[in-house]
Amino acid sequence: MNTAENKRSIMVGIFVLIAIVIFVIGILTLGGQQKRFIESITVSTIFEDVEGLKIGNNVWFSGVKIGTVKEINFYGESQVQVVMNIEEEAQKYIRQNSKARISSESLIGNKIIEIFGGTPAAEQVQDGDMLASEANLNTDDIMKTLQENNKNLATITGNFSEISNRLVRGEGTVGTLLTDSTLAQDFKSMVASLESTSQNAVRASRDLSRFTNKLNTQGSLADNLLTDTTIFNRLEQSMVQLEQATQSATQMAQNLQQASSKFNNENNAVGVLLNDQQFANQLQRTMQNLETSSQKFDQNMEALQSNILFRGFFRKREKEQQEAAEEAQEQLEEQQQPIQDNQ
Amino acid sequence: MGLQDNKADTARRQKYVVTRRLDRIFLELYKIYAFHVRFFKEVFVPPYEFKEVVRQCYEVGVRSLPLISLTGFIIGIVFTNQSRPSLAEFGASSWLPSLVSIAIVRALAPLVTAIIAAGRVGSNIGAELGSMRVTEQIDAMEVSATNPFNFLVVTRVLATTFMVPALAMYTIFVALMGAYLNVSQNELTSFTTYITQVFEAITFLDIFSSIIKTFIFGFTIGMVGCYKGYYSSKGTEGVGKAANSSVVTAMFMVFIEELLALQVINLFRAM
Repeated sequence: MNTAENKRSIMVGIFVLIAIVIFVIGILTLGGQQKRFIESITVSTIFEDVEGLKIGNNVWFSGVKIGTVKEINFYGESQVQVVMNIEEEAQKYIRQNSKARISSESLIGNKIIEIFGGTPAAEQVQDGDMLASEANLNTDDIMKTLQENNKNLATITGNFSEISNRLVRGEGTVGTLLTDSTLAQDFKSMVASLESTSQNAVRASRDLSRFTNKLNTQGSLADNLLTDTTIFNRLEQSMVQLEQATQSATQMAQNLQQASSKFNNENNAVGVLLNDQQFANQLQRTMQNLETSSQKFDQNMEALQSNILFRGFFRKREKEQQEAAEEAQEQLEEQQQPIQDNQ
Repeated sequence: MGLQDNKADTARRQKYVVTRRLDRIFLELYKIYAFHVRFFKEVFVPPYEFKEVVRQCYEVGVRSLPLISLTGFIIGIVFTNQSRPSLAEFGASSWLPSLVSIAIVRALAPLVTAIIAAGRVGSNIGAELGSMRVTEQIDAMEVSATNPFNFLVVTRVLATTFMVPALAMYTIFVALMGAYLNVSQNELTSFTTYITQVFEAITFLDIFSSIIKTFIFGFTIGMVGCYKGYYSSKGTEGVGKAANSSVVTAMFMVFIEELLALQVINLFRAM
């Protein structure tokens, strides 16, 4: 083998070696990026709809890529089972009560599975475990909501347009306010009135301030009431006495109430007098009898005065009464005589 | 007259199985088939022409490297620059590394390498073997008990088959570096971020499918060049025709294979 051939062979060898090195570096970098050469566990979850998720799509936990989608299979009648490869390093952070949902890397990015939630009390996820899934808002739902919002926005802007048109035409209260010069003048005068009112209010507040200053003047009643502890103590005592009087009055009222309630019963004399109809009738008859008896007694007494045996007694008493009256007249006259002399 | 015409028609029918043109096409197809069968027979049969294989590898691989590298570098820059406005419309300029890596690894690098190789190596092989055929060097080799097929065809086809994938690797690397140069200038993306995004977008299937494609492209370029040169005729005119035909046919075949490979790869990607 001559030198030229040797050189060619070496060059070809270097050429091929560098190409292989590029290839191997590419494979290793890609494998490292896709976490192909590290230990992983398998976790699955079941979705109603995977929204176009593909094998190889990323699995995220707290925004960090922790694995890839390994398999997508139909499950049951219409559900879809998604099997994921999760790095062993991330295993300790994922709990058995964590959930999975379909999401996307960005607004128009690839679909991903996002694992979230989980409580520290729960055990960490194990190889072959199944995580619960959560349905997510898909793009169609978002678009529907946006469409609804657009319609509402169109209606609102239409209404605003109508309002502005009416304002321009001077319709309605606000429109009239904006276009009617009379109303503007009224408004001006109203503002002027308001200004006047506010000035009055200022004056009133000034007077009030002066009045309160007077109240605070030392020696005034209000000041004494507010500051003098002796007056306050007296007032307090008065209040206590007033309270006691009120209590006594209350007690008295209660007694009266009890007494009046007794009046309504027939087990006592007053109650019988007030409430017993039969007794009232008897009493009435008795009173009638008494009246009749007294009339007859008067007649008897008149007859007795005419009687010769008792006539002397009645004349004697009449004479004594007459004498007593005359004596009283004399005393009165004696008393009035010195007054007339003085005058 | 009529009798004579009938006789001539009958003679023509007896001379050609279908028609002259169709017969030629089928004959050509058979020759291609026989050429391939002979290659696969000869490739495993000693003597093995290692020195010649290495020489051809040097010619195909090492000598083509500067041209391929420059082309790849330019492709990387140009493709990135041309893709930017479309992505910028969506405010997605940050996706340039991903887009560029997918385009380069999946299609651009294998195709560009194959086309450059077809243009440079295919024409070279066609012209070389054609002139050897025209100057009866191949006949002389047969007379001197040297297997010209083994020495001329097998070595060249092996060289193209193995060197085109290697060249494609270089092209991928250089094109991605060219794209990085452009991206870092415009988007101020760091090298780490760029590499992360490049490898985030591609898969093992992309890399392996590209490599397998380039093996096929290399084999095709070698076979087409050797076939056209090996069976060239008509003197010096035939040499030029063989060289030209080698390039055109090889490029056409490369694009057809790219299309077929894409369908097959998509089948795998869907699985």
